[in-house]
Amino acid sequence: MRLPQPVNNTVPGPAMPFSPTTTLNMATLGKKLFILSVRMGRGLWHRGIVSSSNPVQSAVEPLEKLQESSSDAITEQMAKSLKYPDFFKVAELFTVEDLFNARVHLGHREGSLNDHMSQFIFGSRLSHLIFDLDQTATLLREALNFTAHIAFRGGIILFVGRIPQHQVMIENTAKECGEYAHTRYWQGGVLTNSTIQFGSVIRLPDLIIFLHTMNNVIYEHTAIRDAAKMLIPTVGIVDTNCNPNLITYPVPGNDDSAASISLFCNLFKAAILRGKEKRKELLGVH
Amino acid sequence: ATLTMAAVRAQTKFLSTNVLIKPFFSRFCASGSGQEAGEGASQVKKVNQESGQDGSQIKKVEPGGFAKSFIKYTQSSSSKVSEEAPKPSRTFSSLLRNSKLIQLGDPEGKVVEGTVFHVVENDLYIDFGSKFYCVCHRPQRNAQSYVRGARVRLRLHELELSTRFLGSSTDMTLLEADATLLGLIHPPKKTESAKQ
Repeated sequence: MRLPQPVNNTVPGPAMPFSPTTTLNMATLGKKLFILSVRMGRGLWHRGIVSSSNPVQSAVEPLEKLQESSSDAITEQMAKSLKYPDFFKVAELFTVEDLFNARVHLGHREGSLNDHMSQFIFGSRLSHLIFDLDQTATLLREALNFTAHIAFRGGIILFVGRIPQHQVMIENTAKECGEYAHTRYWQGGVLTNSTIQFGSVIRLPDLIIFLHTMNNVIYEHTAIRDAAKMLIPTVGIVDTNCNPNLITYPVPGNDDSAASISLFCNLFKAAILRGKEKRKELLGVH
Repeated sequence: ATLTMAAVRAQTKFLSTNVLIKPFFSRFCASGSGQEAGEGASQVKKVNQESGQDGSQIKKVEPGGFAKSFIKYTQSSSSKVSEEAPKPSRTFSSLLRNSKLIQLGDPEGKVVEGTVFHVVENDLYIDFGSKFYCVCHRPQRNAQSYVRGARVRLRLHELELSTRFLGSSTDMTLLEADATLLGLIHPPKKTESAKQ
């Protein structure tokens, strides 16, 4: 197998700075997790990742239940939850072997490779690209951890995907975890012109999860650029022909097989449900 | 015992190579302890019962191949866990190296098995374990058996139909594999076809 040469050595980080106009909770959360993710990203190159199909477990001391549910106490609990590297133990949700069996490592051909994705490629087999599942596993754990934290804090999560075969699967996933999905034609101003389009002040989603970053054809989904404009963090499954640059937590992997999309849907659903469970348990809020 | 030893000697006369003598000796020799079973299972059992080599071993019966696997698979899980060593974690590199994709090599001309997961009039959408599915036309022969859940045999041509067209900077992909339908292996189970 011949390794395609990486064009740039840096892991794509979040594209937008966190402005003080966003809510205090989201900004501080975003900053802390951004720092964690960048450190992780640089670390990918400098230390050899021991690949294993067993999940990485981290010891977590549980937080105590809140005695009084005042807003200060809630904020304090939320801040404490950030001290743990894997507060919701999302690493237990999957192994590298699970990803392998769900065909997550299969990429497109070399001819349709986006240069920014070459850092995530293990190699190519007779011009068919293979993802490095060790990198995928690390980035997926980061994405699931972030998703669970957003759900813990009561954020609105929007699932987006534009491939018709997986539309129903994505909508059902959103239904089952009590969140939202948009798998139809994306009208231009949904995020950027929401006040006029919907006729009232709109609370925008706090996280957008892309199961497919491309539209049916060659174009990237409009919501990626718009989410970056509106300072909404994004998690996205990026295939070899996708551009991971504007996505906050890219997860390199196969987005064309039903098996891999169903695995990702189940993982995100599990992470969100864990976050909500902890929210109910520790913060006493629904 | 003497009968079996004679049989061994007779056999070894016909075997010119030294390689084959050892396994035969170990199989028919009474000193061999619980060898790998299979063909010689019943004979091993017999020999151990009859041999008077060790006084304490006369009554002991070594289980044959079937008996061993029966014990292994009907034993309770708790005893299994204590006996077996923990499974070594499989790395991505080893999983890939031993995967079907690598074993396949060049997909052109390879025969694989697939499952029909969707049918649109006379088009069958068949998944054979790769990134993409393939779409084949329903054949004339045995047409009513090609329904959702049917297992079919395919001859692969391409794993992904994608190529560079003149004037474009990247490949254009059809998001499909290319294969020829060879025939049916299994019609779907009755419960599945009843649901349809």
